[in-house]
Amino acid sequence: MDKLKIANKTFESRLLIGTGKFSSNQTMARAVEVSGTQIVTVALRRVDIANENDDMLAAIDRKKYLLLTNTSGARDAEEAVRLARLSRAATGIEWLKLEVTPDPYYLLPDPAETLKAAEILVKEGFVVLPYINADPVLAKRLEDVGTATVMPLASPIGSNQGIQTRASLEIIIEQSAVPVVVDAGLGLPSHAADAIEMGADAVLVNTAIATAKDPVKMAQAFKLAVEAAELAKDAQPREKIKAASASSPLTGFLRD
Amino acid sequence: MAFLLINGEKKQFDALPENIAELLKHLDIDAATVVAELDGQIVQRQDFAKTKLIDNQKIELLRFVGGG
Repeated sequence: MDKLKIANKTFESRLLIGTGKFSSNQTMARAVEVSGTQIVTVALRRVDIANENDDMLAAIDRKKYLLLTNTSGARDAEEAVRLARLSRAATGIEWLKLEVTPDPYYLLPDPAETLKAAEILVKEGFVVLPYINADPVLAKRLEDVGTATVMPLASPIGSNQGIQTRASLEIIIEQSAVPVVVDAGLGLPSHAADAIEMGADAVLVNTAIATAKDPVKMAQAFKLAVEAAELAKDAQPREKIKAASASSPLTGFLRD
Repeated sequence: MAFLLINGEKKQFDALPENIAELLKHLDIDAATVVAELDGQIVQRQDFAKTKLIDNQKIELLRFVGGG
């Protein structure tokens, strides 16, 4: 496969890593390193002024990893735009994972507010990577307003259910002119490999790694799975057929 | 007596910190890790010491945390 290219940047790895839910910044940093990723997502939250807060950014080497702030917590376009501007003011980085999730139970992204925010942010010069439901029409609309990728979900965030949106993902992958990053719900390395084998350009994984008993080992497993799937794509598998096709020769047997 | 609304909570001061840098010092928060919004306007970090505070202002202090 050619290298992953998003906006004007090229990446060696097709695995993006989320930094939430790790038991410590040390474990997170180690998992990120072992995963081989070059893009890590972070969130912005209010400082807890009553308690001491760790500076998690100190654990991320920003020369090695592109920091992709998400707009998690935003319930509408206005809040997402506000978080995006704050992130840019803090880091000088224009890359942004746009997510607008008004429903706290399934955390499904709001398509109308996401499109509205994307339009504003693209105009303000942001490189927008929108998290969306696996909706091919929305994916096209976002591409039309100038987002750098589309990031359809495999299943609800953090659910580890794997690819439950296959038919729609296939259409998005077929039609998209921008990279497709399958985000959310990938629970096992095989799910990530599946997404890449389907033709996704990249995957974003957080919960499956962060909440494994051994997150560092799981990060390595995801790295290997994504690389295996890339190799398999390059090897160009033959298509499925209905009937058997013998692997051993059927001629020259001990029979008249 | 003066007040600031910090991250949605009303905080009372005998004497208001003069600027955002002073406020962060008062709260024991490392300015290098914080993003600030004063009455809805983003304040760049290099302007923390220049940005004066007045009674009853709304200030949001944010920082980066792990996220997916």
